[in-house]
Amino acid sequence: MGLHKLRLAAAVPVTFSSRLFLKPFTNTLTLGLFSRHLQPRNKPLLVRAFSASAAVQDIPATQTSDSSAARPLWKAAIDFKWIRDNKEAVEINIRNRNSNANLEAVLQLYENMVNLQKEVERLREERNNVAKKMKGKLEPSERERLVEEGKNLKESLVTLEEDLVKLKDELQHVAQSIPNMTHPDVPVGGEDSSAIRQEVGSPREFSFPIKDHLQLGKDLDLIDFDSAAEVSGSKFFYLKNEAVLLEMALLNWTLSQVMKKGYTPLTTPEIVRSSIVEKCGFQPRGDNTQVYSIDGTDQCLIGTAEIPVGGIHMDSILLESALPLKYIAFSHCFRTEAGAAGAATKGLYRVHQFSKAEMFVICQPEDSESFHQELIQIEEDLFTSLGLHFKTLDMATADLGAPAYRKFDIEAWMPGLGRFGEISSASNCTDYQSRRLGIRYRPSEPPQTGPKKGKANLPATKFVHTLNATACAVPRMMVCLLENYQQEDGSVVIPEPLRPFMGGIELIKPKHK
Amino acid sequence: MGLHKLRLAAAVPVTFSSRLFLKPFTNTLTLGLFSRHLQPRNKPLLVRAFSASAAVQDIPATQTSDSSARPLWKAAIDFKWIRDNKEAVEINIRNRNSNANLEAVLQLYENMVNLQKEVERLREERNNVAKKMKGKLEPSERERLVEEGKNLKESLVTLEEDLVKLKDELQHVAQSIPNMTHPDVPVGGEDSSAIRQEVGSPREFSFPIKDHLQLGKDLDLIDFDSAAEVSGSKFFYLKNEAVLLEMALLNWTLSQVMKKGYTPLTTPEIVRSSIVEKCGFQPRGDNTQVYSIDGTDQCLIGTAEIPVGGIHMDSILLESALPLKYIAFSHCFRTEAGAAGAATKGLYRVHQFSKAEMFVICQPEDSESFHQELIQIEEDLFTSLGLHFKTLDMATADLGAPAYRKFDIEAWMPGLGRFGEISSASNCTDYQSRRLGIRYRPSEPPQTGPKKGKANLPATKFVHTLNATACAVPRMMVCLLENYQQEDGSVVIPEPLRPFMGGIELIKPKHK
Repeated sequence: MGLHKLRLAAAVPVTFSSRLFLKPFTNTLTLGLFSRHLQPRNKPLLVRAFSASAAVQDIPATQTSDSSAARPLWKAAIDFKWIRDNKEAVEINIRNRNSNANLEAVLQLYENMVNLQKEVERLREERNNVAKKMKGKLEPSERERLVEEGKNLKESLVTLEEDLVKLKDELQHVAQSIPNMTHPDVPVGGEDSSAIRQEVGSPREFSFPIKDHLQLGKDLDLIDFDSAAEVSGSKFFYLKNEAVLLEMALLNWTLSQVMKKGYTPLTTPEIVRSSIVEKCGFQPRGDNTQVYSIDGTDQCLIGTAEIPVGGIHMDSILLESALPLKYIAFSHCFRTEAGAAGAATKGLYRVHQFSKAEMFVICQPEDSESFHQELIQIEEDLFTSLGLHFKTLDMATADLGAPAYRKFDIEAWMPGLGRFGEISSASNCTDYQSRRLGIRYRPSEPPQTGPKKGKANLPATKFVHTLNATACAVPRMMVCLLENYQQEDGSVVIPEPLRPFMGGIELIKPKHK
Repeated sequence: MGLHKLRLAAAVPVTFSSRLFLKPFTNTLTLGLFSRHLQPRNKPLLVRAFSASAAVQDIPATQTSDSSARPLWKAAIDFKWIRDNKEAVEINIRNRNSNANLEAVLQLYENMVNLQKEVERLREERNNVAKKMKGKLEPSERERLVEEGKNLKESLVTLEEDLVKLKDELQHVAQSIPNMTHPDVPVGGEDSSAIRQEVGSPREFSFPIKDHLQLGKDLDLIDFDSAAEVSGSKFFYLKNEAVLLEMALLNWTLSQVMKKGYTPLTTPEIVRSSIVEKCGFQPRGDNTQVYSIDGTDQCLIGTAEIPVGGIHMDSILLESALPLKYIAFSHCFRTEAGAAGAATKGLYRVHQFSKAEMFVICQPEDSESFHQELIQIEEDLFTSLGLHFKTLDMATADLGAPAYRKFDIEAWMPGLGRFGEISSASNCTDYQSRRLGIRYRPSEPPQTGPKKGKANLPATKFVHTLNATACAVPRMMVCLLENYQQEDGSVVIPEPLRPFMGGIELIKPKHK
C-alpha cells in the first residue's frame, strides 16, 4: 500500500501518461478522482528526481487495478528497434493488411520505455555514487545527508522500476497486434486481388443431374448430421460405413506421401494451454473467438495441429544442424465457428470438429521461402493425385492473418455446391510465431578469427522461421471426393491412390435396406 | 407470485415433508423462517383438501430457489418393479457398495402415487360440481357450487404443481439406484472378481527390460515433456513409428470387428452434458472425469459409448432393425481427477487417447449372448496380438451403476511388472435405454382378436445396450512396446499389424 500511495504522490507533475495517451478521457477523470481523495505527501527530492528528466513518466494508479487482468502472461520478443527504424514500411504494411494495430501508440510507448530505462540507469548510477562517497571519512552531518539522499534515491528507483515493468507490459500488449511484414510479391488489396499461381484440371462435366455431398452422404448412409444435432448441436456429424474408411484412407495415404518427403509423423494433444494458442497468433478469448475453452482451467481445444506442433520446441535453442524440422501432424480440430452463420456453411464444409493432417516446418530464415514452395508443391501434388480440379492463390494482403508473411490457399471445385471452396492453406510465418514461442537456433560456429576461445565466441542465437500447411482437411476433401466422383447410379468411385488404404474398395454403392 | 404464496399458506398443516425427510435440519429451519415472514391466508377449503388425505404433501417454498437441481430429463425408471422387488434391490445396492437411498425412493414414490390419486379425486370432484351446475338450480345453490368449483380449481393447481416437484425429486433421488446384477457375478470387492479365462503366459526375458516410457524415449516414439509444457501433465505426443502403430492398431481393429458385422463410425467428441448423464456418467462435481466446455452445456466425451448411445436417443426402433452393432472410433478426454498416486505412469493413465469402442443395441433376450460375443471379439483381438491376459468377471462392488455385468481384460505389462486393464465389456441391459429413451416395437404377433389397426400394435419395450473396448490405443502400446522389446532396444511389430503400417516389422533405434 505504501508504494501504491507513493506513486500517486509522485504523479503530481504529469508530463505524459501512457494510459492517457491511449484513452485520454477516462484516465484524466480517474486521476482527478484519485487526487481529490489522496493528500500528496511532501517528498521534495523524489519530485526532483522525477522532474529532472524528460523521461518522467506517470503510470496512473488505476493501472494497478487494470493491469492484473490485462497483464500479459508471456512476452513476444518483438524487435522494436527495427519497427522504429522502419516506421514507414510498417505503417504501409498495417494499412495494406487492413490491420487495426496502432503503430503510433507502439512507437510512443517504446520511446517512453527507452527514456524511463535511461532514467532508471541514471538513478542507479547516482545511488552508487552516494554509496561510494559514504565509504570515506565524513562529517556526521554530511553522512546523515548522504544517508537521507541514498534512501530517497532508493525509493525513487523502486517506484520507477515498477513503472518500467508496467510500461513494458503495456508496450507488449499494444505491440502484439502488429502483423507480420508481407512478402513483396503478395498482391496488395482484398480477396479479389489474390493472384492465381496455378490452376490444375478442369471442372468435370456431368451427363446427369448431380447431388451435393449432403444428399450423397444421406443416400449412401455415410454421414449423419441429424443425430449429431440432437447429441451435440448443429454442425457436428457422425461418419458412417465407407466414410469412416475413407477418412482413415485419406489420412493414411496423406501421411505416407508426406513422410516420403522427410516429414516426421506426429499425433498431438488437442487440449493446450491458452497461452500457446495466443503465441501462435490466435485469440482464445473474446466474443468472436473460434476457440473452445475448457471450464475452470486455462486450457482450450486446438483449432489446428499447428498450435501443439508450434509448441513442441517452445522456449528452446535448436542446433543449426537440427534444422529443418519437418512435421506432419494428425489431430482432431475444434472450432466454435462463431459468426459463421450465413456464410458457406452447408454440410461438411464448415463444422465444429474435424480431422486434419497438418505440415509444419521449422527452418533457418534464409530457407523459409524455399520450404514454402516445397509445402505448396506437396499440397498440389496430393490434390492432383486425387484428380481434383483446383487453383492455387497467392492471397492478397487484406486476406492474411497476422502471423502470415505470405499465404497460398488452394481452392478446389465442388460441383454439388457449385463453386470453388478452400481445401488448404500454406503460410510462411517467418519469425512471427518463433518470437512469441521463443524458438531460436544457434548458427554453426564460424571459423575462429580472434585469439580468444570459449563461450564468448559462440555466434548469437537467431529466431527460426515457421511454416504451416494443410495436407488433408478430411471433411473438405470428402466434399470434393463425393461430389466429383459421383456416378449416375448414385454410387461414388474411390480415387485410385486411396484404394489400397481402404481394403481395396473401389466404389461406394447404395445400400439395400 | 400468487401461487407461490398460496403454496406456502397451504403448507401450514405439515404432515410430511419430502425434503424434510432427506435433509431434516436445514429444511425445518427454512420453513420456520418463511412462516415467520408470511401471513398464511385463510383458505379453509384448501386446507381441507390437503388435510383430507393421507397423501398430503408439503413441498417447501425453498425448493423454488433449489430449481437448479431440477432434472432436465427423466429416466423411465420402473418404480413399480422396484417397490415390488424391494428386498432384491436393497441387497443389490448393498452388494454394489452404492450410496443409493432406496428408502427415500420408496417413500417418495408412495407419496407421489398418493398425491396423484388425490389429484385425480379432486378432478373428479370438480367434474361433479361442473355436472351439477348444468341443471336448474336455486341461485344460492349455484353460488355455492361456483365457489366450490373455484376452490377446487385452486387446490388442483397447487397440488398439480406439487406433483411435478415431487416427481422431480423422486427422479433426482432414484437416478442413483444402480442397475440390477447378473446372478453369476461374484459378490464382493475387487479381489472377489472371478477369472473367466487366462490366455498365454508372461514372456521370459533374458536381458534387463525397459518400461514403455524408456522405450518410447529411446526410440523417439513418445514425448511427454513437450506436452507437459504445451498442455499439462499426462498429455503426450506420439512420434515416428508410434503414429503408424496407432493408425495400424485402429485400422486393424476396425477391419477385424467389421468382419463380425459391426458398422464403423466416427463420432462427435463434444456432446451435450445431458447425454453424458443419460449414459450414467457424472459430468459435474469436484471429482468429475469430464471436461466441460466453458460457457455452454457441452462437454468432451470420455468414451465413444456416449455419442453412440445418443444416436438412437428418443426413438422407437423396429425389431427387424435389431441388433444394431457399431464399432466407433473417437478421441477420448478424461480429467483423471483423483487419479494421482494411482498407477499413472506414462501412457497408462492419460488425459487424451484414441479408442475404438463397440456398442450393441439389441432385444433384451439377446443381450447376454451379445455380451459373450463382445468378450469373444476382445479375446480374439488380444490373442492375435500375442498378449498374455486374463478375463475377469468383475465383482459387484467394482461395477459402475449402468452395468448389469462387466468383464475386464487385464494384460501383462512386463515393464510395469503387473497386469493392467486394457478393456472392459459391459451389459447395461435397460439402464441406459431407460434414460436415453431407446425403445423398440416387437414384431406384430399373429392377430387373434377380430379388431385390426393401431390399437393392436404390440407395446414398445426398452432395448438393451452393451459396450466394449475394442482397442484403447495407449494401453495397447504399453503392452506391445513392453512385451515385444528386444535386447538391442528395438521393438518387434506383431504380425497382424504389419500390413497396416506399410510392412514395418521392427521399430529400430534411430541414429542421431
